[in-house]
Amino acid sequence: MSFYDRIFKPRRHTLSNGKVVEERFTRLPLIMLIILVCTAISVRITGFSFSVLLSGGQRFFDILFDMFPPNTSYLPKIWTPLLDTIKMSLLGSFIGAVLSIPFAILAASNIVTNRALVFVVRLFLSLVRTLPTLVCALIATYIFGLGTMAGTCAIAVFTFAYVGKQLFEIIETVDMGPFEAMEALGATRLQAFIASVFPQVLPSYLSVSLFCLEGNVRYASILGYVGAGGLGLIMNEKIGWREYSSVGMILIVLFVTVIAIEGLSHAVRKRLT
Amino acid sequence: MIVFDHVSKVYPNGTVGLKDINLSIQDGEFVAIIGRSGAGKSTLLRSVNRMHDITEGTLTVEGVNVSTLKGKELRRFRRGIGMVFQSFNLVSRTTVIRNVLAARVPEMPFWRVLLGAFRKEDKITALESLDKVGILDKAYIRADQLSGGQQQRVALARTLAQNPKIILADEPVAALDPVTAKQVMEDFVRINKEMGISILLNIHHVELAIEYADRIIGIHAGQIVYDGPSKEVNQDVLDAIYKEAVPQGKQT
Ligand SMILES: Nc1ncnc2c1ncn2[C@@H]1O[C@H](COP(=O)(O)OP(=O)(O)OP(=O)(O)O)[C@@H](O)[C@H]1O
Ligand SMILES: [Mg+2]
Repeated sequence: MSFYDRIFKPRRHTLSNGKVVEERFTRLPLIMLIILVCTAISVRITGFSFSVLLSGGQRFFDILFDMFPPNTSYLPKIWTPLLDTIKMSLLGSFIGAVLSIPFAILAASNIVTNRALVFVVRLFLSLVRTLPTLVCALIATYIFGLGTMAGTCAIAVFTFAYVGKQLFEIIETVDMGPFEAMEALGATRLQAFIASVFPQVLPSYLSVSLFCLEGNVRYASILGYVGAGGLGLIMNEKIGWREYSSVGMILIVLFVTVIAIEGLSHAVRKRLT
Repeated sequence: MIVFDHVSKVYPNGTVGLKDINLSIQDGEFVAIIGRSGAGKSTLLRSVNRMHDITEGTLTVEGVNVSTLKGKELRRFRRGIGMVFQSFNLVSRTTVIRNVLAARVPEMPFWRVLLGAFRKEDKITALESLDKVGILDKAYIRADQLSGGQQQRVALARTLAQNPKIILADEPVAALDPVTAKQVMEDFVRINKEMGISILLNIHHVELAIEYADRIIGIHAGQIVYDGPSKEVNQDVLDAIYKEAVPQGKQT
């Protein structure tokens, strides 16, 4: 009997035939205690304070109220950056998702028998995944200059790493029977993959890619902050000028776009499975 | 012709799969292999098309020493041998005809495989194979919408589209109900008699084996304990095949 059980006594149930079953007391108090301690420690470390939150919160609502009513005359100037944002996310997602396919295959241990190769490709995918998209966009602006090209690249890199990781995990859970049948009738491993594994993973692959695209539209709107084009660019500018009513207009447009794309992608994904 | 000459197989973990197998199967024979679970039936079958390597002896198929094959030669060799599995191993998300067309994949250029662009004559071959097993009308239905018996027929059609000289079948009717099992066994008999394809088939139903196969091979603990016409299988033979396995180490 552990220390915990001695404090919180287990309950005993006696069955009609005399057998005794012990039900241990719930661990909830212990878990609550641990969570409380962790919260206390993190408040200490991060210097979190409620008074700052309250006064800052006040300021947040001031800005929020300044955004209304949104400046509708600013609307015509939003279309171009909005299209840039959508183009960046669409193109970036597409490039990233396509590029991830060969890497996902190489990272799937049920398809590639060379352990070392699988390990190296997976390591590469993890490394790329740890690179924050903003940092990636920043680097891209140094290479391609300011503009949507940099944003597209950043999104492609993120999509590549995310879809690549998801896809190799999908490939590994696939039914290997048809693959074995293909090998038995004289196909190479690559032929067997295309004919038997690919049809199985295709719906999930498309679904994951679309899901990634949904998130990318939101990402793409932030990327402007580092000069990578799109809505973020003008948003940064308008916040700088304290033109909060224009910011409100941008946010509304972004909101509607994100909802529309999520709705569309959700509908498509539903039909895939 | 398939010839096992003192063939043994020990798995990497030390399990004995086959022990000193001597066997010769003529073209056009219909052979059923019976034995307890773990006796080595699958191992025997899978060494014929080198899905498993043997560790001792020589195995000759159509005059080729199987152990010497590798890479491209091995794949070309496998094209001449069909294989049917207990779990059908169809790609469930695609149509029946695409599953059958898979048999043509090894002969196609890479871009055609990638785009799924099959040639007309391949499609005709596939449809004819489906016709031979009596499910031509199901050609454009998704494979997972068929019953087990129909799926096994698709697998059989896929094998026929390979135009094989030998068909290996690993418990092809184990997942089917008794009536469907008989129908599929009759398909095998027809393919064997009409097309002259040799058939090697693992099976747990002794009655089905005796009814449909010409020759029975009984395996016990990796060794052949009976090899003869199915008509001569009697209770003594079955007792020898299905007796308790002697624990390893006590064997003399
Ligand atoms: N990949 C493997 N690695 C190690 N041992 C194996 C492997 N495959 C099979 N064996 C062992 O080899 C022996 C023969 O197995 P095999 O699959 O040939 O039996 P089987 O007669 O087909 O049985 P079942 O009727 O259950 O299919 C068994 O003891 C099994 O545990
Ligand atoms: Mg078996």
